[in-house]
Amino acid sequence: MRALKLHSTALALIAMTASGALAADTYGPFPVTLQGYAGDKTDSVSYSGQIARHALHDSLKKAAALGNGGANAAEVEALLLSYFNGSEADLDILAPTSKDGFPIKQSTVNAISSGKNISGKFYGGAMPAWPGNGTGKDAVLHMIAKAAQSENGYDAENGYDYAQLISKFTMGAMMYNQSVDNYLDEKLAADNKPNNKPYKEGAYYTGKEHSWDEGFGYWGAPAHLMSLTPAQAYDIAKGKDLAAADANGDGMVDLKTEYVFGPAYYAAGADKGGTKSTTYMHTIMQAFIDGRQIIADAKGEALSDEARAALKAQAAIIEQNWEQVLAEAAFKYAGSVYKDITKLGETEGDDKAKAYRAYVKHWGELKGFVMALQSGRNNLGATSVELNKLVGFGPVTLDNSYVTGVDANGNFVRDRRMTWNDYQLNMLKTQELLKAKFGLKSLANDQLAELEGLAGKLEAEASAETD
Amino acid sequence: MDLFTDIFGDLWDPKKRIFFGYLFLSLVIAGLWLVAIKRTGLRDSLRKLFDRGVFFSSSAKADYKIFVINRIFTLFISPLLITQMTIATAIFFFLHGVDWISKGQFAETPKTVVVTLFTLSMFVFDDFTKFLLHRWMHRWPLLWAIHKVHHSAETLTPITVYRVHPLEGVLYGLRSVFVQGSLIPVFLFFFGGTVDLVTVVGVNALVFVFHVTGSNLRHSHIDIHYWPWLERILISPAQHQLHHSTAVEHYDKNFGVALAIWDWLFGSLHLSEKGRDLSFGLDAKEASASQLTDIYLRPFRDMWAVLRRRAKRLRNWVTRTQTGPSKTSGQP
Repeated sequence: MRALKLHSTALALIAMTASGALAADTYGPFPVTLQGYAGDKTDSVSYSGQIARHALHDSLKKAAALGNGGANAAEVEALLLSYFNGSEADLDILAPTSKDGFPIKQSTVNAISSGKNISGKFYGGAMPAWPGNGTGKDAVLHMIAKAAQSENGYDAENGYDYAQLISKFTMGAMMYNQSVDNYLDEKLAADNKPNNKPYKEGAYYTGKEHSWDEGFGYWGAPAHLMSLTPAQAYDIAKGKDLAAADANGDGMVDLKTEYVFGPAYYAAGADKGGTKSTTYMHTIMQAFIDGRQIIADAKGEALSDEARAALKAQAAIIEQNWEQVLAEAAFKYAGSVYKDITKLGETEGDDKAKAYRAYVKHWGELKGFVMALQSGRNNLGATSVELNKLVGFGPVTLDNSYVTGVDANGNFVRDRRMTWNDYQLNMLKTQELLKAKFGLKSLANDQLAELEGLAGKLEAEASAETD
Repeated sequence: MDLFTDIFGDLWDPKKRIFFGYLFLSLVIAGLWLVAIKRTGLRDSLRKLFDRGVFFSSSAKADYKIFVINRIFTLFISPLLITQMTIATAIFFFLHGVDWISKGQFAETPKTVVVTLFTLSMFVFDDFTKFLLHRWMHRWPLLWAIHKVHHSAETLTPITVYRVHPLEGVLYGLRSVFVQGSLIPVFLFFFGGTVDLVTVVGVNALVFVFHVTGSNLRHSHIDIHYWPWLERILISPAQHQLHHSTAVEHYDKNFGVALAIWDWLFGSLHLSEKGRDLSFGLDAKEASASQLTDIYLRPFRDMWAVLRRRAKRLRNWVTRTQTGPSKTSGQP
């Protein structure tokens, strides 16, 4: 009899763990734990505000390429600012939009969440990586103004691709910064948004539940990301794999819970490419889920010290991996820029113009991610200084000059020159620095890999054999 | 089991000279040499090939022990590979800073040409630096103190190649690091991703040829020699054995490994001498053939002695130069 009892206890335990594991495969639903809640809500998860900001960001990037060289500058700038600052009107989502075989449920920002903006959540600290000695927000506003005056977001003379610059910078200055420097930082403190009180008056979720949800929202992942491969996640962001995206099987992609936005997309890209030895995407996602479970397990009580420590441990995993994802992306594009310079030297005429366009695009991505890295919770100190020196305010342009600053009117000044060789060397050093400082492993586009590969091949030859 | 493979792994590794396949081929070559060229009877040939007096001499037994003990010291050589990447990266970076050359300048060169050129350069540069270092080991007293260990062998067997002081192993490791660390970045810079090595069983094809044609016989008692013209290009086993000879006229000759051209250029080439019986080893006052503690520790004592002599000479020179002028200035 006793044996039987033990047996059934074991079974029950297995069943519990099994259901626990099942529940922890997706981000939500999580039960409503708010004590004294009398409403009919059953799921306490809510992060639609963050998804709306992702849509604003994607649309901002799209709109940054609408300029026609100056004639429509005022109009384009107003449009860009409406996405940046938010609008009274219900804005169209310019990206992502429905495609053949990939219908998207929401087509306006308010269909996700209303009253949201980017500006209120943008990194306001010093941003020495951009000329003008301003804050992160000053820098992005400068980019927006310049984008509006440019032709399709492309400024060949100074070597800027504004859509890339704005977008990649925002992934750090809003998403990464808000998540790791706000919701997963001070909002985890005992006296800030406690778990035994609603997030705000009348809310059905607790302070900690919603803080964590908002941190998760900025990560930009679908709730079922754990069941997707990095390749599937990558395809969803490219608007390709409806079957993988459509978790509820309604034939549409719900941006709130089924789509892959920027940060998660770059984690997927790092895992999918390079050495394929990383698991950033699933590591970050699992930490978000596990953290949310810790909060749910507190059942509406204030978190114990132990639970808070466990939660902070998950937050630390998220922050570290997220930082690495941004650094991996910068690493990859530094490699692209290096390769683009080699190609520039080999081409002439139209091909050269095309190669230069690709170079400027890749540089914009590199620069954006380098700036994103400097918008987190960590002060990177000397690493920032070094990165900013190596990458510069602008890339080396066709006459070998590069942007060294701005004048009083915010116009770019290019009063120095650098050889292509030297700039290529800077890219190698950028890769070396990023790899060493952030412990990178994916290392896509590693321009020193050939050197290491050949050295590895010859290793056996490195014998001490004498005669 | 792991320890066993750690110690004896080289016998199964076709990248190493004493891989059993190469040893077997050396045996075949030596047998053919004795039977077909030297017209020795089969029984006598076999007796000569497996001469107990050679393989079980006290000197050879010391070789076997050193072979095992030195495996421990290979641990000191592996970290050198990190140095290799440092050198390679530094040179790669340096080349980027040279204005009149550019990355991938010869990237259009056909792959076969690039690969052949790299394989050949690697082999030649490797062989030359081995020659150079070997020459220094004989010429500089400080290095000779180390290299003596190898020359104290009184009988030569293929395992004698492992009879070296661990410090010599480190020096040769550094040499290899220098060679690869400098050639790799130069080739990659100019030719780009097409650079590769022609390998057979994972080893440079030319090194493979060197091994299958009896590299093991260099350290043996089978004095295979080549035609004189060939001995000016490639070092024959007999020529290397002559390098180990105790005869005064053979001192400091034939430093080369595979190629003889370096000795030819530097005036240290000595062709093999047919029918001459050579004896190997060093005077007991210089080094012991079989005493392990002497083999491992004497080099340190000798190096210390060399350094002390140098220091004394320096002191004498300093006193001379100091007292010299005062004497002359004191004289009106």
